[in-house]
Amino acid sequence: MVTAFRESYRQMQAISDNRGYQYLAGLHGVPSWYCWHHQQNARSAQQMQLFLPWHRAYLYNWEMAMRDRVADVTLPWWDWTLLPPRQSGLPKIFTDAAAPGGGSNPLRSFKVDLPNARPPIVRGTSRSPEAPSGLPTTDDVNDALARTDWNDFTDKLEDIHDSVHGWVSGDMGVVGTAAFDPIFWSHHAMIDRIWWLWQTRHGNGNISADLLDVPLAPFNFRVRDVLNVNDLGYDYAAAAALIATRGKG
Amino acid sequence: MAKASARKTPRPQRLAAPRRPETMAKSFTSEPVAIEFADASHRFVRADLEINGIAHGEASYEGRIFLDNPKANAKTPKTIEEGYAGSFNIFGHGGCLGDPGHCDINEHNRDPYDFRAPHPLTLASKRVTVTAALRAAARTKKKATITIVPVVTAANDLCDTKDVFHFERMQFVTYNG
Repeated sequence: MVTAFRESYRQMQAISDNRGYQYLAGLHGVPSWYCWHHQQNARSAQQMQLFLPWHRAYLYNWEMAMRDRVADVTLPWWDWTLLPPRQSGLPKIFTDAAAPGGGSNPLRSFKVDLPNARPPIVRGTSRSPEAPSGLPTTDDVNDALARTDWNDFTDKLEDIHDSVHGWVSGDMGVVGTAAFDPIFWSHHAMIDRIWWLWQTRHGNGNISADLLDVPLAPFNFRVRDVLNVNDLGYDYAAAAALIATRGKG
Repeated sequence: MAKASARKTPRPQRLAAPRRPETMAKSFTSEPVAIEFADASHRFVRADLEINGIAHGEASYEGRIFLDNPKANAKTPKTIEEGYAGSFNIFGHGGCLGDPGHCDINEHNRDPYDFRAPHPLTLASKRVTVTAALRAAARTKKKATITIVPVVTAANDLCDTKDVFHFERMQFVTYNG
Protein backbone atom coordinates (compact mmCIF):
# COMPACT_ATOMS: atom_id res chain seq x y z
CA MET A 1 0.00 0.00 0.00
CA VAL A 2 2.79 2.44 0.90
CA THR A 3 4.47 1.79 -2.42
CA ALA A 4 1.33 2.73 -4.35
CA PHE A 5 0.76 5.74 -2.11
CA ARG A 6 4.30 7.00 -2.66
CA GLU A 7 4.11 6.36 -6.38
CA SER A 8 0.86 8.30 -6.76
CA TYR A 9 2.47 11.35 -5.13
CA ARG A 10 5.60 10.97 -7.24
CA GLN A 11 3.53 11.02 -10.41
CA MET A 12 1.26 13.87 -9.27
CA GLN A 13 4.27 15.98 -8.34
CA ALA A 14 5.58 15.61 -11.88
CA ILE A 15 2.39 17.05 -13.42
CA SER A 16 2.18 20.80 -13.79
CA ASP A 17 -1.40 21.10 -15.08
CA ASN A 18 -4.69 20.91 -13.18
CA ARG A 19 -4.31 17.18 -12.52
CA GLY A 20 -1.11 17.72 -10.63
CA TYR A 21 0.01 18.13 -7.05
CA GLN A 22 0.76 21.84 -7.16
CA TYR A 23 -2.54 22.85 -8.73
CA LEU A 24 -4.63 20.81 -6.29
CA ALA A 25 -2.58 21.76 -3.23
CA GLY A 26 -2.82 25.39 -4.33
CA LEU A 27 -6.59 25.35 -3.97
CA HIS A 28 -6.23 25.39 -0.18
CA GLY A 29 -4.03 28.45 0.35
CA VAL A 30 -1.77 30.31 -2.02
CA PRO A 31 -2.67 31.00 -4.80
CA SER A 32 -6.40 30.13 -4.81
CA TRP A 33 -7.54 30.41 -1.15
CA TYR A 34 -10.68 28.29 -1.26
CA CYS A 35 -10.33 26.62 2.14
CA TRP A 36 -12.86 27.04 4.96
CA HIS A 37 -11.67 27.58 8.52
CA HIS A 38 -12.72 29.48 11.61
CA GLN A 39 -16.49 29.76 11.01
CA GLN A 40 -16.42 32.62 8.46
CA ASN A 41 -19.78 34.04 9.52
CA ALA A 42 -19.46 37.78 9.82
CA ARG A 43 -22.60 38.72 7.93
CA SER A 44 -25.00 36.17 9.30
CA ALA A 45 -26.17 34.77 12.62
CA GLN A 46 -25.84 31.39 10.93
CA GLN A 47 -22.67 29.63 12.02
CA MET A 48 -20.99 28.80 8.73
CA GLN A 49 -18.98 25.93 10.10
CA LEU A 50 -17.96 24.33 6.85
CA PHE A 51 -14.49 23.30 7.91
CA LEU A 52 -15.31 19.58 7.95
CA PRO A 53 -17.53 19.37 4.82
CA TRP A 54 -15.18 21.50 2.75
CA HIS A 55 -12.14 19.42 3.63
CA ARG A 56 -14.03 16.17 2.99
CA ALA A 57 -14.85 17.41 -0.52
CA TYR A 58 -11.21 18.39 -0.93
CA LEU A 59 -9.93 14.99 0.21
CA TYR A 60 -12.34 13.22 -2.13
CA ASN A 61 -11.03 15.15 -5.13
CA TRP A 62 -7.46 14.61 -3.99
CA GLU A 63 -7.88 10.87 -3.67
CA MET A 64 -9.54 10.69 -7.08
CA ALA A 65 -6.51 12.48 -8.52
CA MET A 66 -4.26 9.95 -6.79
CA ARG A 67 -6.25 7.10 -8.31
CA ASP A 68 -5.99 8.67 -11.75
CA ARG A 69 -2.29 8.01 -11.39
CA VAL A 70 -2.26 4.68 -9.53
CA ALA A 71 -5.44 2.61 -9.70
CA ASP A 72 -6.85 1.46 -6.34
CA VAL A 73 -4.44 3.52 -4.27
CA THR A 74 -5.95 4.87 -1.04
CA LEU A 75 -5.00 7.81 1.14
CA PRO A 76 -3.82 6.60 4.56
CA TRP A 77 -4.66 8.61 7.67
CA TRP A 78 -1.97 9.75 10.07
CA ASP A 79 -3.10 8.74 13.54
CA TRP A 80 -1.15 11.22 15.64
CA THR A 81 -2.58 9.68 18.85
CA LEU A 82 -0.49 6.54 18.44
CA LEU A 83 2.24 6.07 21.02
CA PRO A 84 5.57 4.24 20.83
CA PRO A 85 6.43 1.60 19.81
CA ARG A 86 3.83 1.97 17.07
CA GLN A 87 4.74 5.53 16.24
CA SER A 88 6.60 8.50 17.64
CA GLY A 89 5.77 11.81 16.04
CA LEU A 90 5.91 11.97 12.26
CA PRO A 91 5.53 8.55 10.60
CA LYS A 92 8.76 7.29 9.09
CA ILE A 93 7.34 7.07 5.57
CA PHE A 94 7.01 10.88 5.62
CA THR A 95 10.51 11.55 6.95
CA ASP A 96 12.77 9.14 5.05
CA ALA A 97 15.08 11.17 2.84
CA ALA A 98 15.13 8.62 0.06
CA ALA A 99 12.45 6.41 -1.40
CA PRO A 100 13.12 2.67 -1.45
CA GLY A 101 14.84 1.90 -4.71
CA GLY A 102 16.40 5.34 -4.95
CA GLY A 103 15.40 8.90 -5.62
CA SER A 104 14.00 11.45 -3.21
CA ASN A 105 10.98 10.58 -1.09
CA PRO A 106 7.88 12.38 -2.48
CA LEU A 107 6.19 12.00 0.91
CA ARG A 108 8.87 14.05 2.65
CA SER A 109 8.78 17.30 0.73
CA PHE A 110 7.35 18.96 -2.35
CA LYS A 111 9.11 21.53 -4.48
CA VAL A 112 6.74 24.50 -4.69
CA ASP A 113 7.09 26.51 -7.89
CA LEU A 114 5.06 29.70 -7.63
CA PRO A 115 7.29 32.42 -9.11
CA ASN A 116 4.31 34.73 -9.60
CA ALA A 117 3.10 34.60 -5.99
CA ARG A 118 3.69 37.77 -3.97
CA PRO A 119 6.30 37.15 -2.72
CA PRO A 120 7.43 34.26 -4.94
CA ILE A 121 7.64 30.79 -3.39
CA VAL A 122 10.15 28.59 -5.16
CA ARG A 123 11.59 25.99 -2.79
CA GLY A 124 10.95 22.65 -1.13
CA THR A 125 8.55 22.38 1.78
CA SER A 126 10.00 21.85 5.25
CA ARG A 127 8.85 21.03 8.79
CA SER A 128 9.91 21.86 12.32
CA PRO A 129 8.05 19.40 14.56
CA GLU A 130 7.93 19.51 18.34
CA ALA A 131 8.39 16.56 20.70
CA PRO A 132 5.81 13.80 20.17
CA SER A 133 4.34 14.48 23.62
CA GLY A 134 2.87 17.68 22.18
CA LEU A 135 0.49 15.86 19.83
CA PRO A 136 -3.22 15.39 20.64
CA THR A 137 -4.07 12.31 22.67
CA THR A 138 -6.79 9.70 22.60
CA ASP A 139 -8.41 11.59 25.48
CA ASP A 140 -8.56 14.72 23.32
CA VAL A 141 -10.24 12.77 20.53
CA ASN A 142 -12.66 11.10 22.93
CA ASP A 143 -13.53 14.50 24.39
CA ALA A 144 -14.48 15.68 20.88
CA LEU A 145 -16.41 12.51 20.09
CA ALA A 146 -18.47 12.86 23.28
CA ARG A 147 -19.83 16.25 22.26
CA THR A 148 -23.35 15.93 20.91
CA ASP A 149 -23.85 19.43 19.55
CA TRP A 150 -22.60 19.92 15.98
CA ASN A 151 -21.15 23.37 16.60
CA ASP A 152 -19.45 22.22 19.78
CA PHE A 153 -18.02 19.13 18.08
CA THR A 154 -16.75 20.80 14.94
CA ASP A 155 -15.16 23.65 16.89
CA LYS A 156 -13.36 21.16 19.15
CA LEU A 157 -12.17 19.02 16.27
CA GLU A 158 -11.02 22.06 14.32
CA ASP A 159 -8.99 23.18 17.32
CA ILE A 160 -7.33 19.75 17.54
CA HIS A 161 -6.63 20.06 13.81
CA ASP A 162 -5.14 23.52 14.33
CA SER A 163 -2.85 22.20 17.05
CA VAL A 164 -1.39 19.51 14.76
CA HIS A 165 -0.64 22.09 12.07
CA GLY A 166 1.23 24.09 14.72
CA TRP A 167 2.97 20.98 16.02
CA VAL A 168 4.38 20.13 12.58
CA SER A 169 5.18 23.83 11.94
CA GLY A 170 7.19 24.79 8.85
CA ASP A 171 4.96 24.99 5.79
CA MET A 172 2.27 22.88 7.49
CA GLY A 173 2.09 25.55 10.16
CA VAL A 174 0.29 28.24 8.19
CA VAL A 175 -2.80 28.14 5.96
CA GLY A 176 -1.06 29.62 2.95
CA THR A 177 1.40 26.79 2.36
CA ALA A 178 0.11 23.87 4.47
CA ALA A 179 -1.36 21.78 1.65
CA PHE A 180 1.95 21.66 -0.20
CA ASP A 181 3.39 19.49 2.59
CA PRO A 182 2.73 15.85 1.68
CA ILE A 183 1.66 15.03 5.23
CA PHE A 184 -1.20 17.54 5.04
CA TRP A 185 -3.46 15.03 3.29
CA SER A 186 -2.96 12.22 5.78
CA HIS A 187 -3.51 14.64 8.66
CA HIS A 188 -6.81 15.65 7.09
CA ALA A 189 -7.75 12.04 6.48
CA MET A 190 -7.42 11.58 10.27
CA ILE A 191 -9.67 14.60 10.87
CA ASP A 192 -12.17 13.28 8.33
CA ARG A 193 -12.09 9.87 10.01
CA ILE A 194 -12.85 11.38 13.43
CA TRP A 195 -15.80 13.23 11.92
CA TRP A 196 -17.03 9.93 10.47
CA LEU A 197 -16.62 8.21 13.86
CA TRP A 198 -18.70 11.02 15.37
CA GLN A 199 -21.32 10.55 12.66
CA THR A 200 -21.58 6.84 13.43
CA ARG A 201 -22.46 7.80 17.01
CA HIS A 202 -24.53 10.91 16.54
CA GLY A 203 -25.66 10.92 12.92
CA ASN A 204 -25.43 14.43 11.55
CA GLY A 205 -26.43 15.86 14.91
CA ASN A 206 -28.05 19.24 14.79
CA ILE A 207 -26.17 20.53 11.77
CA SER A 208 -28.34 23.33 10.41
CA ALA A 209 -30.56 22.53 7.44
CA ASP A 210 -29.60 25.96 6.12
CA LEU A 211 -26.09 24.68 5.54
CA LEU A 212 -26.97 21.61 3.52
CA ASP A 213 -27.20 23.26 0.12
CA VAL A 214 -24.19 25.51 0.52
CA PRO A 215 -21.79 24.79 -2.36
CA LEU A 216 -18.28 23.70 -1.47
CA ALA A 217 -16.39 25.64 -4.10
CA PRO A 218 -14.55 24.83 -6.28
CA PHE A 219 -15.72 21.24 -5.99
CA ASN A 220 -18.84 19.74 -7.51
CA PHE A 221 -20.47 19.20 -4.11
CA ARG A 222 -22.90 20.78 -1.69
CA VAL A 223 -22.65 20.06 2.03
CA ARG A 224 -25.37 17.40 1.87
CA ASP A 225 -23.40 15.51 -0.81
CA VAL A 226 -20.47 14.80 1.51
CA LEU A 227 -22.26 13.81 4.71
CA ASN A 228 -22.01 10.07 4.05
CA VAL A 229 -18.57 8.77 3.17
CA ASN A 230 -20.09 5.53 1.88
CA ASP A 231 -21.87 7.59 -0.79
CA LEU A 232 -18.43 8.83 -1.79
CA GLY A 233 -17.14 5.30 -2.12
CA TYR A 234 -14.99 4.91 0.96
CA ASP A 235 -15.08 4.01 4.63
CA TYR A 236 -12.86 4.11 7.70
CA ALA A 237 -11.83 1.51 10.23
CA ALA A 238 -13.32 2.37 13.61
CA ALA A 239 -10.18 1.27 15.40
CA ALA A 240 -6.90 -0.47 14.77
CA ALA A 241 -5.29 -2.80 17.25
CA LEU A 242 -1.71 -4.05 17.36
CA ILE A 243 -1.61 -7.63 18.50
CA ALA A 244 1.87 -8.65 19.55
CA THR A 245 2.71 -12.27 19.02
CA ARG A 246 5.67 -14.43 19.84
CA GLY A 247 6.73 -17.46 17.98
CA LYS A 248 9.17 -19.00 15.69
CA GLY A 249 9.56 -18.23 12.10
CA MET B 1 -6.62 45.36 14.81
CA ALA B 2 -3.53 44.77 12.72
CA LYS B 3 -4.11 44.17 9.05
CA ALA B 4 -1.46 42.15 7.33
CA SER B 5 -1.53 44.27 4.21
CA ALA B 6 -1.19 47.52 6.16
CA ARG B 7 1.99 46.57 7.95
CA LYS B 8 5.29 48.14 7.07
CA THR B 9 7.31 44.93 7.09
CA PRO B 10 9.47 44.83 3.96
CA ARG B 11 8.36 42.07 1.64
CA PRO B 12 11.05 39.47 1.01
CA GLN B 13 12.23 38.74 -2.50
CA ARG B 14 11.25 35.12 -2.02
CA LEU B 15 9.25 33.61 0.80
CA ALA B 16 11.24 31.27 3.02
CA ALA B 17 9.59 28.44 4.95
CA PRO B 18 7.74 29.31 8.16
CA ARG B 19 9.62 28.51 11.35
CA ARG B 20 9.06 28.31 15.08
CA PRO B 21 10.37 31.57 16.58
CA GLU B 22 12.37 31.48 19.78
CA THR B 23 11.24 34.84 21.13
CA MET B 24 8.16 35.14 23.32
CA ALA B 25 5.06 36.92 22.06
CA LYS B 26 3.22 39.57 24.05
CA SER B 27 0.64 38.24 26.51
CA PHE B 28 -2.77 39.71 27.32
CA THR B 29 -4.08 40.08 30.86
CA SER B 30 -7.58 41.29 31.65
CA GLU B 31 -8.68 43.41 34.56
CA PRO B 32 -9.84 41.22 37.46
CA VAL B 33 -13.30 39.87 36.64
CA ALA B 34 -15.92 38.53 39.05
CA ILE B 35 -15.92 34.74 39.30
CA GLU B 36 -18.30 34.29 42.22
CA PHE B 37 -20.72 32.64 39.81
CA ALA B 38 -18.37 29.67 39.80
CA ASP B 39 -18.17 29.00 43.52
CA ALA B 40 -19.42 25.79 45.09
CA SER B 41 -22.90 27.14 45.74
CA HIS B 42 -23.68 27.30 42.04
CA ARG B 43 -24.47 24.22 40.04
CA PHE B 44 -23.06 23.94 36.57
CA VAL B 45 -21.42 21.03 34.85
CA ARG B 46 -19.28 22.88 32.39
CA ALA B 47 -17.79 26.33 32.02
CA ASP B 48 -16.26 27.63 28.81
CA LEU B 49 -14.23 30.72 28.08
CA GLU B 50 -15.44 32.02 24.73
CA ILE B 51 -13.20 34.39 22.82
CA ASN B 52 -14.72 36.18 19.84
CA GLY B 53 -13.32 38.31 17.07
CA ILE B 54 -9.91 36.67 16.93
CA ALA B 55 -7.64 37.78 14.08
CA HIS B 56 -5.92 34.89 12.34
CA GLY B 57 -4.20 36.51 9.39
CA GLU B 58 -0.63 36.04 10.41
CA ALA B 59 1.27 33.59 12.68
CA SER B 60 -0.10 30.34 14.08
CA TYR B 61 -0.03 29.98 17.83
CA GLU B 62 -1.28 28.18 20.90
CA GLY B 63 -3.15 30.50 23.25
CA ARG B 64 -2.60 29.31 26.82
CA ILE B 65 -5.23 30.49 29.28
CA PHE B 66 -4.27 31.18 32.89
CA LEU B 67 -6.65 32.33 35.60
CA ASP B 68 -5.41 34.55 38.41
CA ASN B 69 -1.81 34.32 37.24
CA PRO B 70 -0.92 37.56 35.43
CA LYS B 71 2.78 36.69 35.48
CA ALA B 72 2.29 33.52 33.43
CA ASN B 73 4.50 33.20 30.38
CA ALA B 74 5.47 30.58 27.83
CA LYS B 75 7.58 28.76 30.41
CA THR B 76 4.88 28.54 33.07
CA PRO B 77 3.86 24.92 33.66
CA LYS B 78 0.46 23.99 32.27
CA THR B 79 -0.86 22.93 35.68
CA ILE B 80 -3.97 23.87 37.60
CA GLU B 81 -1.74 25.03 40.45
CA GLU B 82 -0.40 27.72 38.13
CA GLY B 83 -3.93 28.62 37.07
CA TYR B 84 -3.66 26.93 33.69
CA ALA B 85 -7.18 26.44 32.38
CA GLY B 86 -6.69 25.16 28.83
CA SER B 87 -5.51 26.22 25.40
CA PHE B 88 -6.89 27.16 22.03
CA ASN B 89 -4.98 26.95 18.76
CA ILE B 90 -4.95 29.40 15.88
CA PHE B 91 -4.04 28.10 12.43
CA GLY B 92 -2.80 31.37 10.99
CA HIS B 93 -3.09 32.55 7.40
CA GLY B 94 0.66 33.18 7.24
CA GLY B 95 0.64 36.87 6.37
CA CYS B 96 -0.62 38.49 3.22
CA LEU B 97 0.45 36.62 0.11
CA GLY B 98 -1.20 39.00 -2.29
CA ASP B 99 -1.30 42.52 -3.59
CA PRO B 100 -2.21 45.46 -1.32
CA GLY B 101 -5.74 45.03 0.00
CA HIS B 102 -5.87 41.28 -0.52
CA CYS B 103 -6.17 40.64 3.20
CA ASP B 104 -8.49 43.54 4.11
CA ILE B 105 -11.56 41.80 5.46
CA ASN B 106 -14.22 44.44 4.67
CA GLU B 107 -17.09 42.00 5.34
CA HIS B 108 -19.30 44.60 7.00
CA ASN B 109 -19.32 46.89 3.98
CA ARG B 110 -20.38 44.28 1.46
CA ASP B 111 -23.37 44.74 -0.80
CA PRO B 112 -26.37 42.71 0.46
CA TYR B 113 -26.55 41.10 -2.97
CA ASP B 114 -22.92 40.05 -2.87
CA PHE B 115 -23.36 36.29 -2.53
CA ARG B 116 -19.72 35.39 -2.81
CA ALA B 117 -18.19 33.39 0.04
CA PRO B 118 -17.13 35.33 3.12
CA HIS B 119 -13.59 36.64 3.29
CA PRO B 120 -11.27 33.89 4.54
CA LEU B 121 -9.95 36.18 7.26
CA THR B 122 -13.34 36.86 8.81
CA LEU B 123 -12.62 36.96 12.53
CA ALA B 124 -12.77 33.67 14.42
CA SER B 125 -14.24 32.47 17.69
CA LYS B 126 -12.82 29.90 20.06
CA ARG B 127 -14.28 28.27 23.15
CA VAL B 128 -12.21 26.44 25.70
CA THR B 129 -13.63 24.36 28.53
CA VAL B 130 -12.15 25.75 31.74
CA THR B 131 -14.39 24.12 34.35
CA ALA B 132 -11.73 22.72 36.68
CA ALA B 133 -9.49 25.78 36.76
CA LEU B 134 -12.42 28.14 37.19
CA ARG B 135 -13.81 26.13 40.09
CA ALA B 136 -10.37 26.02 41.69
CA ALA B 137 -9.93 29.78 41.39
CA ALA B 138 -13.43 30.47 42.73
CA ARG B 139 -12.71 28.48 45.89
CA THR B 140 -10.39 31.18 47.17
CA LYS B 141 -11.10 34.30 45.08
CA LYS B 142 -14.06 36.45 44.18
CA LYS B 143 -12.23 37.98 41.24
CA ALA B 144 -9.51 36.69 38.92
CA THR B 145 -7.57 37.94 35.94
CA ILE B 146 -7.61 36.11 32.62
CA THR B 147 -4.19 35.87 30.99
CA ILE B 148 -3.67 34.64 27.43
CA VAL B 149 -0.11 33.58 26.66
CA PRO B 150 0.33 33.10 22.90
CA VAL B 151 3.09 30.66 21.99
CA VAL B 152 3.86 31.03 18.30
CA THR B 153 4.16 27.71 16.51
CA ALA B 154 4.74 28.84 12.92
CA ALA B 155 5.47 32.16 11.27
CA ASN B 156 7.02 33.20 7.98
CA ASP B 157 8.77 36.47 7.14
CA LEU B 158 5.42 38.20 6.54
CA CYS B 159 4.20 37.57 10.09
CA ASP B 160 4.53 39.63 13.25
CA THR B 161 5.77 37.18 15.90
CA LYS B 162 5.62 39.47 18.93
CA ASP B 163 2.12 40.95 18.86
CA VAL B 164 -0.05 38.10 17.66
CA PHE B 165 -3.18 37.90 19.85
CA HIS B 166 -5.91 40.31 18.78
CA PHE B 167 -9.54 39.80 19.76
CA GLU B 168 -12.78 41.71 20.30
CA ARG B 169 -14.27 40.21 23.47
CA MET B 170 -14.32 37.22 25.78
CA GLN B 171 -16.82 35.84 28.24
CA PHE B 172 -17.45 32.86 30.48
CA VAL B 173 -20.38 30.63 29.55
CA THR B 174 -21.68 28.00 31.96
CA TYR B 175 -23.90 25.00 31.26
CA ASN B 176 -26.20 23.37 33.78
CA GLY B 177 -26.54 19.62 33.80
